[in-house]
Amino acid sequence: MAKKEQAPDSAEKRVIIRTIGMKKLYRKGGQETAALRGVDVEIYTGEFISVMGPSGSGKSTFFNMIGALDSPSEGRVFIDEVDVAQLTAEELAFLRCRKIGYIFQSYNLIKYMTALENVTTPMAFGGVPDDDARKRGMEILGLVGLRERWFHRPIEMSGGQQQRVAIARALANQPAILLCDEPTANLDHHTGQEILDILQKLNKECGVTIICATHDHRMMNVCDRLMWIRDGSIERIARRDEVHVELAGID
Amino acid sequence: MKHIDVQPQPVLSFGRTFAIALRGVQYRLFRALVTVAVIAVAMAFLMNILSESLFKRVVAVAVRDEIRVSRQADHWIARLSVPQTAEEVIDDLAAAEPGTPASRELARFSGRDPAAIEQAGKQAAQAREYFRFFDDINYGRRRVLIGNAAGIGIFERLQDPEAQARFFESLGQMRAVRFIATPDGFRAFLASWPALREVVAAVREGQRQGIGQLHAKLDGRTVMAALADAEGAFGEAVRQAGFVLEPEEATSLAKQIRLSEHRHFIEDSLNVPEVRKAVAARKDVLPGDVSLDMIWGLLGHPDTAAWYRDLLAQHTSPPPGLDGDRLHEVARARGRSKLMVRAELITMGTGGGFMNIGPRMTWLAFVSMLVCTVGIANAMLMSVTERFREIATLKCLGALDGFIMTVFLIEAAILGLVGGVAGTLIGLVLGLGRMLAVFQSLLLELFPGGLLLQAAGISMVTGIALAAVAAAYPSLRAARLAPMEAMRIE
Ligand SMILES: Nc1ncnc2c1ncn2[C@@H]1O[C@H](COP(=O)(O)OP(=O)(O)OP(=O)(O)O)[C@@H](O)[C@H]1O
Ligand SMILES: [Mg+2]
Repeated sequence: MAKKEQAPDSAEKRVIIRTIGMKKLYRKGGQETAALRGVDVEIYTGEFISVMGPSGSGKSTFFNMIGALDSPSEGRVFIDEVDVAQLTAEELAFLRCRKIGYIFQSYNLIKYMTALENVTTPMAFGGVPDDDARKRGMEILGLVGLRERWFHRPIEMSGGQQQRVAIARALANQPAILLCDEPTANLDHHTGQEILDILQKLNKECGVTIICATHDHRMMNVCDRLMWIRDGSIERIARRDEVHVELAGID
Repeated sequence: MKHIDVQPQPVLSFGRTFAIALRGVQYRLFRALVTVAVIAVAMAFLMNILSESLFKRVVAVAVRDEIRVSRQADHWIARLSVPQTAEEVIDDLAAAEPGTPASRELARFSGRDPAAIEQAGKQAAQAREYFRFFDDINYGRRRVLIGNAAGIGIFERLQDPEAQARFFESLGQMRAVRFIATPDGFRAFLASWPALREVVAAVREGQRQGIGQLHAKLDGRTVMAALADAEGAFGEAVRQAGFVLEPEEATSLAKQIRLSEHRHFIEDSLNVPEVRKAVAARKDVLPGDVSLDMIWGLLGHPDTAAWYRDLLAQHTSPPPGLDGDRLHEVARARGRSKLMVRAELITMGTGGGFMNIGPRMTWLAFVSMLVCTVGIANAMLMSVTERFREIATLKCLGALDGFIMTVFLIEAAILGLVGGVAGTLIGLVLGLGRMLAVFQSLLLELFPGGLLLQAAGISMVTGIALAAVAAAYPSLRAARLAPMEAMRIE
């Protein structure tokens, strides 16, 4: 993995995710809910960005769109300057498998697989041989503190443990982008901090772009920028130092 | 910094796909067992129908000849007692291929040459078509068209020009009735009817004379008694009277007649009080309760048959040749013919249709197939739809649409195979058991192994194919959706 070369505020910022007029309407039984009402945002390579917003404001929906998991009702999404709508099914699968890691709010672990198999499945899809996959899977499980629990099925684990398996799975193929939907929501203070340290390490040392939805205020201390979503629109985007200045000002 | 270059995702090997599918089946073993049970029941139903029909089919084919032989005696007694009706002669004329014994016999009775008989045969075939038409239309219409005439009476009645004109007028007004020929065709037939009538009359007259000639040679015997000598002088007399009696037929006819004589003798022996008393004593019942079935039961064993033979010798004068072994043989032949009659009854309507099991059974098999399809489709649909979330997750992790399809097809094939094999075996055992109860030993003689194997193959392949097709549709649908769209479907 390459060393981080650019600061987000350096002169030549490279855009890795760009959305233009992105909207999402959910239709259900004739009723329409606007989950996103036109989002224009640019996220830079190697950036660690926190997404804040009240429940139901559209964070998860935003993640699904920029992670190429769902198609916007209107507008466009570019990942590394490639229009997602133009990709074939195979290319989308490749993108989801190796370039983006997802940590879902509801974990979405595969029920009939052990912790280790859950982690190695994306590796299998990526063509990693079984033995290598198992070895790397154990390493990643060790990273999230679950090395001893590799043979457990999801139902045999606590919520926090499942969340850590979900994190480990997201890291399986060393993605360039990590989308985390409340990765510390079910973890105690200590474990949460460990996860934050891992994320920060990945960001600083490996240059992984991290986009993280959270209500956790510790996240403010590690991120480069903060983004607030309210009612499906971006309310505000600011650099961390600006926000800290403000907070200091209020004090 | 990580750079993104997008390429197509490689396809996962079949081995690993299979392993993942197998894990899924293992995990949902209970759910899978329910699905397997549904498939098994459906396939058992299909296989049961197929196997029973096949058993019936082979039995039907096998008993046909034996039954014809057993009816030979009745057939000949009737033939040698009275001439046939005009309609029967027409049937024979229509059925007689030129050059066959039947055709020669008709020529001889009527005193016509073979060409004339062939010509008459063609007319007779038409006449039969018209008979069938008039038999099929309803009573009211028939009444309007031909009054109360029946059989050849119809043609006689329509010889009258006035009646013929009325007939065609009424027929023209009956829009719903489709006449089988053009009016001109029927007119031509009616015009040629007198010629056919003459041939028929000549045949009947020939038969009447032949029968008269033969009855003079009966010497006070009944026709049946005389036919016991079908291989000897009486058989010769039958031939001289104009009937065609082939030597092999004479042999089997004589055998039949002897068998039926012996059978009647045994049945009559029950009316001898001493015999009845002796059987009652042996069976420990009142003489009045002794039944024929008891006698046949006794004759079923060689030892008791010998005992009965002594009894008969004491109190009656048995015909020559009716010893203990023969008594036993007659009892067996009777059992066999009862089995034949039952087999004929049960196997009625086989032949034609799918695998020659008869149109009715083909229809049943088809309906059962539909039921299977619906049942299996439902089971597979449920097991796929409840897993849309899993499909969506796998897609998020980089699974190709083809991988998801393959996983579900493999799973369906496994369930279909297990259910299909189990169901086929259950259906076969049930069918075999039921048919064994009906046909007994007859079935084991004729066991249609090859055909059953074919049927088993058909129902197993059907099970697997139905399961696969039923799983293919919903999983294809789920696989094609964007992952989050699939996840929203619950
Ligand atoms: N499948 C759906 N059908 C209809 N409406 C939906 C659907 N999914 C989300 N929504 C609506 O879209 C809006 C945004 O939902 P989203 O899940 O993105 O919120 P969120 O910011 O992630 O909230 P939370 O912090 O609680 O996770 C909500 O109002 C929600 O009701
Ligand atoms: Mg959410």
